[in-house]
Amino acid sequence: MTDDVMTGIARRDPRKEWIARNRLHPEHDRVLAELGKGSAAAIEWMGPHGVIRKNPHTAGFIGPSGLKRIDRSGLQQGGAPSVAVRARQESRRRIDIASPAFLVAVVPEMGGGRLSHHDRDLLGLARQLADADPDRPGAVLAVLFGGYKGEGEGEPKERALGEAGIDRLLHLTSDEYEGFAPEARLAALAAAERELAPRHWLLPDSPLGGADLGRRLAMRLEERPATGVWQLEADATCTLGWRCTARGAAGSLDIQRPLPRVALVLAECAEPVSDTLHAAEELTLNVELPANLTRIEDLGQVAVDPAAISLGEAEFILSAGNGVTDWEGFHHAAQCLGATEGASRVAVDNGFMPRDRQVGATGTWVTARVYVAVGISGAIQHLQGIQSCEKVVAINSDPGCDMIKRADLAVIGDANEVLAALVDLVESRRPQAKRGESRDAA
Amino acid sequence: MLETLLPILIFAALALAVLGAVRRIRLWRQGRPARVAILGGLAAMPRRYLIDLHHVVARDKVMSNTHVATAGGFVSAAALMILVHGLGFDTPLLGGLLLAASTVMFAGSLFVARRRLDPPARLSRGPWMRLPKSLLAFSLGVFLITLPTIGVLPPGFSQGAGHWLLALVLAALVTWGLGEMFFGMTWGGPMKHAFAGALHLAFHRRPERFSSKNGHAGRSTGLKALNLENPEAPLGVETPVDFTWNQRLGFDACVQCGRCEAVCPAFAAGQPLNPKKLIQDMVIGMVGGSDAAYAGSPYPGKPLGEHHGDPQGPIVARQGKALVDAETLWSCTTCRACVEECPMMIEHVDAIVDMRRFLTLEHGNTPNKGAEVLDNLIATDNPGGFDPGSRLHWAADLDLPLMSDVKQVDVLLWLGDGAFDMRNQRTLRALVKVLRAAGVDFAVLGNEERDSGDVARRLGDEATFQSLARRNIATLSQYRFLRIVTCDPHSFHVLGNEYGELGGNYTVSHHSTYIAELHDAGRLAFAPWKGGKVTYHDPCYLGRYNGEYEAPRNVLKALGIDVAEMGRSGFRSRCCGGGGGAPITDIPGKQRIPDMRMNDVRETGAELVAVGCPQCTAMLEGVVDTPAEVRDIAELVADALVLESDSGRSKHRNQPAFEEVT
Amino acid sequence: MQPDSRPFEVAVLVSVGRHPLTGRARRADHDARGLELALGLGRHLDRLQVRAVHAGRHDSGNDTALRGYLGMGLAELTLVEQPDGADVIPALATVLTRSPPQLVVTGSRAECGEGSGLVPYALAERLGWPLVNGVVEVESIDNGVATLLQALPRGQRRRLAVRLPAILSVDGAAPAARQSAFGPAQRGELAPLQEAGVIDEAFAEWTFSPARRRPKRLKIIKATSARERFKAAAAKAEGGGGQVLSNVTSEQGAEAVYKLLEEEGVLR
Repeated sequence: MTDDVMTGIARRDPRKEWIARNRLHPEHDRVLAELGKGSAAAIEWMGPHGVIRKNPHTAGFIGPSGLKRIDRSGLQQGGAPSVAVRARQESRRRIDIASPAFLVAVVPEMGGGRLSHHDRDLLGLARQLADADPDRPGAVLAVLFGGYKGEGEGEPKERALGEAGIDRLLHLTSDEYEGFAPEARLAALAAAERELAPRHWLLPDSPLGGADLGRRLAMRLEERPATGVWQLEADATCTLGWRCTARGAAGSLDIQRPLPRVALVLAECAEPVSDTLHAAEELTLNVELPANLTRIEDLGQVAVDPAAISLGEAEFILSAGNGVTDWEGFHHAAQCLGATEGASRVAVDNGFMPRDRQVGATGTWVTARVYVAVGISGAIQHLQGIQSCEKVVAINSDPGCDMIKRADLAVIGDANEVLAALVDLVESRRPQAKRGESRDAA
Repeated sequence: MLETLLPILIFAALALAVLGAVRRIRLWRQGRPARVAILGGLAAMPRRYLIDLHHVVARDKVMSNTHVATAGGFVSAAALMILVHGLGFDTPLLGGLLLAASTVMFAGSLFVARRRLDPPARLSRGPWMRLPKSLLAFSLGVFLITLPTIGVLPPGFSQGAGHWLLALVLAALVTWGLGEMFFGMTWGGPMKHAFAGALHLAFHRRPERFSSKNGHAGRSTGLKALNLENPEAPLGVETPVDFTWNQRLGFDACVQCGRCEAVCPAFAAGQPLNPKKLIQDMVIGMVGGSDAAYAGSPYPGKPLGEHHGDPQGPIVARQGKALVDAETLWSCTTCRACVEECPMMIEHVDAIVDMRRFLTLEHGNTPNKGAEVLDNLIATDNPGGFDPGSRLHWAADLDLPLMSDVKQVDVLLWLGDGAFDMRNQRTLRALVKVLRAAGVDFAVLGNEERDSGDVARRLGDEATFQSLARRNIATLSQYRFLRIVTCDPHSFHVLGNEYGELGGNYTVSHHSTYIAELHDAGRLAFAPWKGGKVTYHDPCYLGRYNGEYEAPRNVLKALGIDVAEMGRSGFRSRCCGGGGGAPITDIPGKQRIPDMRMNDVRETGAELVAVGCPQCTAMLEGVVDTPAEVRDIAELVADALVLESDSGRSKHRNQPAFEEVT
Repeated sequence: MQPDSRPFEVAVLVSVGRHPLTGRARRADHDARGLELALGLGRHLDRLQVRAVHAGRHDSGNDTALRGYLGMGLAELTLVEQPDGADVIPALATVLTRSPPQLVVTGSRAECGEGSGLVPYALAERLGWPLVNGVVEVESIDNGVATLLQALPRGQRRRLAVRLPAILSVDGAAPAARQSAFGPAQRGELAPLQEAGVIDEAFAEWTFSPARRRPKRLKIIKATSARERFKAAAAKAEGGGGQVLSNVTSEQGAEAVYKLLEEEGVLR
């Protein structure tokens, strides 16, 4: 701890500072490079008072007209990671478990080819199991199916996975695991079981993530899994030394039971790993995986019109009320944002929207995460129906209406114009977003 | 020649009429049995006709007088004609009376004919256009053949060779008249209404709806319970023969006057319902066939000739078309405007609910949100599916006394399902304030209260209604109270009029009635009204169902409000569209019923419309761009309250006794 | 397989549900959706025979709930009678093996008891049949292959082809069950079938309590320096009233909305 604090304090060297200021000093370039932490010709460095200093003479390039040009957009510095990221990485304690006493196998859901929040929580829990006995540490083994898409900042896979708390990695990238391939994945997990014999199997109890695969695995291993696990505590009387609390009866019961070998775990079961860095050392299976007889064939995703998704299921709803006059524009906006369409009672009564799109106490009670109310003043029944929405955005011309009071963000203005501006904005930023999207879907 | 021909004609027509009557009666009797006091009914029939029926007919003075003249003239002319021409009692006195009767009938028929010159849309055409001519033919024919009887024309006037033609014309005229009036009466012409209508009055399925000699004004609006214990007992009406025989008889009584059509809110809104057509469809169903010959306004949006019925076949098909489409039945708001207007005392709402019962209990096909609402009622005892333990959350700060604590009170305040609706909670808070100001000893059931079962019953789910009702009755039986007060007319109606059959008999008052009583007793004082023009909307379940038109108006008057009445108010009030589960089944029309009602409000120029029903409040408040504010009477009263401490009047029981202490 | 010669048999496994607010016994939501899915197969098949199977104890407390399935239009419900505390999987497996249907439809999890959602998986493993979870629609059945739609989050769908016989499990994304009608529910028959019960011993050893509210995750601030600790401690609490933007141009308003949508990650 004290070391960290010591290195965090900037120490001054007046001589070097003097040389850095004096361009004519023979050692000027070398000192600048030193202060700039490594790059040959430092452009900027931390000054003695914590202020960033710049050397304009080393920056820039000679333009086509023979004049020196300095690009101040910051592009030139793209190569070096920011100070903050560097600091974060270096603050992590590196842990290598050379010969683990046992393995805790985790099969993350890897939605979109990345570790999800749920996965990170799960890995945090796996660390609790692995690190319980400091003398005989276990290792966390992650079994990953399909391509790994990175974390967005271009960090190497081992680093990102290591930060999540993974010691060993079994990365299976064959095509047969793509899409819905429970049979192939199950065969691979069974092979891993035979070869690596982990003490625990942990999977996220998430729909179409681990909930399905985990149950299949448990049945294949002839284990009775604990499902909906959300709490663990050490208990020496249990076979595996742990006792768990699991949700039962559609979430209405808590079941206390010894932790079985296979556990399906809810989100927020543990804190994600945040201060250690693990090796994420890649393993390979020695046995050849048998070719599977597949009885389930994935024919690919079906194009679903977001507007047709049932309101109860929708996560993002764009809802129209009496203030909407440009219906064409509204439908276009919903399509452009990828939102499910909703409506106030008035809009339905007036025949602009079908009845199954009505939100409210007399229509559908919605649970969307984001609810955008366009031109809806917010009758009591409507507000009742959106009680459980997390974020409500109101776009309305009447600053006094009840919807504005309910909203987390309210924009006062003509609903149709704001919506049109929003569509323009989304479309102008679309190219970037689209590229990311297509990579995910691949 | 006429002397020999007339008795033959008359008795032949009479014989045919009797034959037709037997056939028709047998047709009605194909329906299910019903317990009816035959002799008592027949004995009561003249009074029911002359008082109760006439009370309805007399709302239209011209038509009433026309009918008195025509029908009265016909009945006496027919009787006298049998005597004079049939049996040969051709005394000048009888002949003179017969002439007078036929003259009166002729005069009446002229008025009938005048109305048929340019008939309003609600009247059916077809054979009904022929009726005035037949009436004229009969009365004229009878008049002319009777002239010789009193010696105005010589007895032998028709015996000359030149008079053969005249005799033939007269015979044809009389035959036409007899055919329409006697034969047609029982074989299915427009005159069928006289025969069926008379018997319908005698064997009506709700004899208690007629007034009695001791001045008791008749009213019977509660739906009748189904027998759910017996697995053989049918659940509602599937086919025309599933109606009870006296219901079938009632359908035949219809005169197609279209008064029901003119007042039906669903018809006006362009929803596929027309009460008159519905009753005619039931008539078609009794014998089978298509509705192509029906000559009145169709169900909006449903062309004639596409629907066919069968006496034993389903009225509503599971798939495709039969006699009636399900959405016709689900369009009804059960507002009883049609029943209130019907001069033949036909019970449209009963028939509709009977058919709905089958759709819900046997088909499991309650449209739109119906199934969800019924499931909620079964699982949570309220239509919204709210946690039944949260029924009193709105009153967390009011510290309402609970029946389970106090056991015995003067007034049990029935909250209704409005307790879950944030809008109605304002009304309830206002009502509690008023009761407290008047020092009323009251308590609520709290979480022990359940939905009254109104919506379930109107949606045809008798099983859920009875389950809710029986449990409510069991709860209520644990406590002692003088009366139940509620601000929900639907609960009011069900508790007061429909629980009795299941063993729960209570004195129930609507809050407006109770507030009026409190005010009359001097327990409430109001500040004078300072607002603008106010109109009042009669809730169907308070007005037409329970006859309470005065109390709300008295309360408003006590508040200093001079009510600007709407064109349709009182027993003619137009429904808000919220009854009978109509907002749940939500059958689309051309416009919305509450919008039409708010237009009525707008026509009065009122700035505020006072209501006394949570459904009406919700429906009328749901209308956008209206100039009028919607307030419950309880809210108006609560706002105008002058509390005793201010006015220095005498204290009531609930007033804390701090003054005496200090 | 000759679809014309014998009817296409579907077995739907149904359980006694529990209403989440009142705890009253009812049709289990997922199971009822499963039955709806099975009854809807009539669209694709000339001869369809749907058999509903419930394994467990039948008593007055769950009679209405079981009859709820009959009210969806079944004449009969097979009642595999099991003692209290029995593991129903062996009994169900026996019944299904004895007269194997071409398709088994189940809900994704029960609303009472352990509710682990293991029944379809255990049966699939025992019978050796393929299993597809989260089915929302059967698009066609042809030559022993069923084409299905599987629900993905956010209302997305995936098309799968599965070789029959198979087990399909259905969750809340499947179309809602039809209304249960009182008349057929009362008339329908609960046909009992005696089957030896295997007592679930592990289950008996667990302890049960009503679900506790899970603690809300707190934002833990890992401060590595005094400065960060101070900042964390002095930070203003978030939340309170919503932000209202008035007198802004449409573009500025749209920008703010866009920012929120992006933060919430709902833009795709």
